[in-house]
Amino acid sequence: MKPKVAFFDFTSCEGCQLDVLNLTGEELLDLLAGVEIVSFREAISRNDEDYDIAFIEGSISRDSEIPRLQKIRKQAKILVAMGACACIGGVNCLKNHLTMNEALTMVYGADAKQFDTIPARPINAVVPVDAYIRGCPAQTGEFAKLVKALLIGKKPETPSYPVCTECKMAGNICVYELGKTCIGPVTRAGCGAICVTGGRQCWGCRGLVDEPNINSQEEILKKYGLTPAQVVEKFKIYNTYSEVKK
Amino acid sequence: MKTNSVLIVDDEAIVRESIRDWLKDSGYDVATAESAEEALKMVAKKDYHVLVLDVRLPGKSGLTALKEIKAIHPDVKAVIITAYPSEETTAEARRLGALDCMIKPVNPEDLEKLIRDAVASIDKEADKKPAKKAAASKKSVVISKRSFKTLITSLLQDMEVVGVKGKKGKFIFDKINNFDELKMDYDLTPIPPTKYLFPAKETILKYDLSDFKKSTPVLDNAPRAIVGVHPYDIRAIEMLDEAFITANPDPNYIARRQNSLIIGVDCLNPSPKAFSPSMGTNVAEAGFDLLLTDIGDTYMVTVGSQKGADLLKKHAQVIEPTTDDIARQKMVRDEALTKYQLALDIPRERLPKLLEDAYDDPYWAERASTCLSCGSCVMVCPTCFCFDVQDDVSLNLKDGERTRLWDGCMLVDFAKVAGGENFRHDKTSRFHHRMYRKGKYVLERYGRMGCVGCGRCGTACLAEIASPVEAFNAIAESARAKQEAARAVETIRPEKELYAPMQAELVRVDNLAAKEKVFEIKLAGGKDLGQKPGQFVELSLFGLGEAPFGVASSPTRRGTFEIAVRNVGSLTNVSHNLKKGDTVGIRGPFGNGFPLKQFEGKDLLLIAGGTGIFPMRSLIQYVLDNRKLYGRVIVLYGARGPAERLFTDDLEGWKNNANLEFHETVDRGDAIWKGNVGVITTLIPKVQLDPKKTVAVIVGPPIMYRFVIVELKKRDIADENVIMSLERRMKCGVGKCGHCQMNGLYVCQEGPVFSLAQLRTVREAV
Ligand SMILES: Cc1cc2nc3c(=O)[nH]c(=O)nc-3n(C[C@H](O)[C@H](O)[C@H](O)COP(=O)(O)OP(=O)(O)OC[C@H]3O[C@@H](n4cnc5c(N)ncnc54)[C@H](O)[C@@H]3O)c2cc1C
Ligand code: SF4
Ligand code: SF4
Ligand code: SF4
Ligand code: SF4
Ligand code: SF4
Ligand code: FES
Repeated sequence: MKPKVAFFDFTSCEGCQLDVLNLTGEELLDLLAGVEIVSFREAISRNDEDYDIAFIEGSISRDSEIPRLQKIRKQAKILVAMGACACIGGVNCLKNHLTMNEALTMVYGADAKQFDTIPARPINAVVPVDAYIRGCPAQTGEFAKLVKALLIGKKPETPSYPVCTECKMAGNICVYELGKTCIGPVTRAGCGAICVTGGRQCWGCRGLVDEPNINSQEEILKKYGLTPAQVVEKFKIYNTYSEVKK
Repeated sequence: MKTNSVLIVDDEAIVRESIRDWLKDSGYDVATAESAEEALKMVAKKDYHVLVLDVRLPGKSGLTALKEIKAIHPDVKAVIITAYPSEETTAEARRLGALDCMIKPVNPEDLEKLIRDAVASIDKEADKKPAKKAAASKKSVVISKRSFKTLITSLLQDMEVVGVKGKKGKFIFDKINNFDELKMDYDLTPIPPTKYLFPAKETILKYDLSDFKKSTPVLDNAPRAIVGVHPYDIRAIEMLDEAFITANPDPNYIARRQNSLIIGVDCLNPSPKAFSPSMGTNVAEAGFDLLLTDIGDTYMVTVGSQKGADLLKKHAQVIEPTTDDIARQKMVRDEALTKYQLALDIPRERLPKLLEDAYDDPYWAERASTCLSCGSCVMVCPTCFCFDVQDDVSLNLKDGERTRLWDGCMLVDFAKVAGGENFRHDKTSRFHHRMYRKGKYVLERYGRMGCVGCGRCGTACLAEIASPVEAFNAIAESARAKQEAARAVETIRPEKELYAPMQAELVRVDNLAAKEKVFEIKLAGGKDLGQKPGQFVELSLFGLGEAPFGVASSPTRRGTFEIAVRNVGSLTNVSHNLKKGDTVGIRGPFGNGFPLKQFEGKDLLLIAGGTGIFPMRSLIQYVLDNRKLYGRVIVLYGARGPAERLFTDDLEGWKNNANLEFHETVDRGDAIWKGNVGVITTLIPKVQLDPKKTVAVIVGPPIMYRFVIVELKKRDIADENVIMSLERRMKCGVGKCGHCQMNGLYVCQEGPVFSLAQLRTVREAV
């Protein structure tokens, strides 16, 4: 029997779900041949309560989201966090630097009172997570890789080494040599260092590696001219949650 | 010509002559040279059949000489002899085509046999290929730069050409589409050209999940020219050849290697992080098809293979090099050598042993602490060849491929096994392992250096810790320090008397005040103590212990010396019961004493408070006994009260001594006291001073120093000219026990006398 797959979104832009659809027609058919999609708000209108694999997108930033996520966890055999928001809290956690009232007022102005916002957190801060598709947005290729791994019965793996390793494999000139800075040395790889390859630098959207040498990274950023405030800024964009926790 | 001429090159006359005599007796035509330079000159004039070369010679080494001679006479046979055998030397000798590497002292019979066989083989080879021109390879020719352009342009028609291109102000190896993109003068590329032989990711196998038989190995057989490879990268390729070809020949590597043309170029402008000369890899003798040296308008081209020779024949116009060209090539190469900024401090032959001994050196953990485990150092290294193998199936789950990707020992999970155990779980063990690969393991396993000194890792490592040259030098330094310490332990004669006091007799005991007594002491045999004013001795009472006391008398008063003791505790209390004729122990004198030289020609302002007069008295006596050496001598003395004044007889004498200006005060007066009342600092404004000529000396209770210094600052006396004697708790007096330590200083050794300037950064001082 084909495993039933469902997609759920919490606080996010839904950019990750859209990215999954970026498969070619043939690839999509291949995928549909292997699984049965029962709930996918973006693509189909069916909403089924019976599923095996749940893909969760977005972070948790409202009280009401917690029981909903817990209910999904209970039903799903495999729960996958998809995208930076779900995996590490992501950009949504930027608001954690403000008080919740400030954040509400900034976003919703006078209507702020109606919303029950709480500090944003990744999915695994609320329920156990079986697998991660990292990145902002999550990449089609990695999504496909994970689905294949699940179908074949292989343990889904993301690299434990940082972006620099892949950046060297891609043959890039390190941005530090070009007068820019980057947190690739502490960011989990898997993206192939696409941002550096594309002429930018790594902002850490895939989260930190398991044993990031944050002290050393901070020293390096300072050595390359960043002020302590700018150093914090570097980590803030995607890694507020893990940084705040530490 | 008979095949029997032998040239012996050794700087030791005895070796040279004994081998010469033996071989002459066996019928050889023998010549000798004392240095490589001399040998090269002789070889230029005459063809020798066999060379016997010592490795260590005064100028160039025997191996270098062999390399140079082989370039001109590729058929010459050589035997290397050395008193310092090492795997590196042997490997290098073999690489240069030496018959053997013999260890000195050499058995002449063995040597003669080796030479006899060599001569026989030369004759046989000559018989076999009489017409064939020797050395089509390793020949040097000259081509014009225009001709080189034609060559590359022709190659572009036939195959993929990769070479060095500019990118964002740096250089990279990439596909070349036309000659003008090609840069032949560059320092370093972040990723080495070895990526064309061992790419970051390659498919090694394709398979069908349902049909096992359909699985097929994937090889890259496309012809490719790699242009502009520097010698260190050529040497790295030779190392990779060793790793991939020996034992289980790797089909993927070999397919690429066999289908690649390697066109090297000498590196004339090395990267600031490079150190290839130290690794012996700034030159390449093999491993390329052509090797160019830019000698101005033309390239000197060394032909390294038949493929290279054919290539020149087909696409280029070659000219025979003139002596001028050869000289120019040597000149540009020598000039390049002067541009390296980093070098190994030890011969590379010593690395394996050095590393073996440094296994537990604290350096590894200390340096690894900032490692990011980012993997950059192993990804960019031309001699790193570890890989990971991964399977990837297509979305339809029907077929797939097996790929290999660069991997490396600096990555966290590299040595992790199922079950989660990681054999190199910490940064230190990984850092350690990589450095040992580079300097020891690879060399031992493959006979080639595991690091070619390209400088890529040093450039890539953001933590600035990855460069092997830095690690090796640090380890060498610590080994050297250790060795020196060890040598000292063996050869130094201990000072047996260090802790044994000298016997002495009290010749006089006088009361100075209620709690103070002075002891006049005579060392056994009437020996002089030989103290400098400001030094101290340890007074030793068996059963009680020892305590430090400043010497209160000047060395100019000979035969005996004095110490004055205030009764403050057990030893001092017992000492006060001692009588004339009693025996005590003395160790010393210790410490540095006052800087008497600095005082000469100066006005002296001598400020003593309380018992500070004890060591100061020694100085005052000394100055009075050498009065001519000094300008004005001003003595300021302060006591708590009239009853606490010490050495009152001396005080009276100084007051009336025309050679001194003496001022005195007590903190609190009494009915009889007619002199100054007030703390000692009140005396300072009363004296006239020339700040440029004055040296001030302060001895007193700790609290006094701060206030006196403030007063002296007001009088503009420089910190260099404010001299103080400090008191600290002391036991050994000889810089061992550590009690007196004040930040990094040992008061008993560098002190007790310091200038204020010296103490400026010593936070524990005042
Ligand atoms: C370089 C130097 C020169 C000195 N010159 C004189 C001098 O000329 N005349 C003089 O009377 N005193 C001098 N002292 C101080 C003298 O050494 C101590 O007063 C003496 O050690 C006290 O010993 P104790 O057994 O009587 O006292 P304890 O009963 O051991 O202790 C009494 C006090 O003395 C201190 N003390 C103990 N041992 C030492 C020690 N080894 N070094 C310093 N302080 C100690 C203790 O901290 C305690 O405050 C000098 C000290 C130094 C370091
Ligand atoms: S650009 Fe960033 S990711 Fe790439 S090597 Fe440099 S620091 Fe690492
Ligand atoms: S390079 Fe960095 S920011 Fe860019 S996708 Fe990769 S992890 Fe995210
Ligand atoms: S260890 Fe560093 S210097 Fe040595 S060959 Fe590798 S990258 Fe070059
Ligand atoms: S073990 Fe480490 S140093 Fe050695 S080749 Fe592999 S990655 Fe390079
Ligand atoms: S030594 Fe430097 S380059 Fe190598 S893993 Fe550590 S931080 Fe990265
Ligand atoms: S008194 Fe022992 S080290 Fe100075």
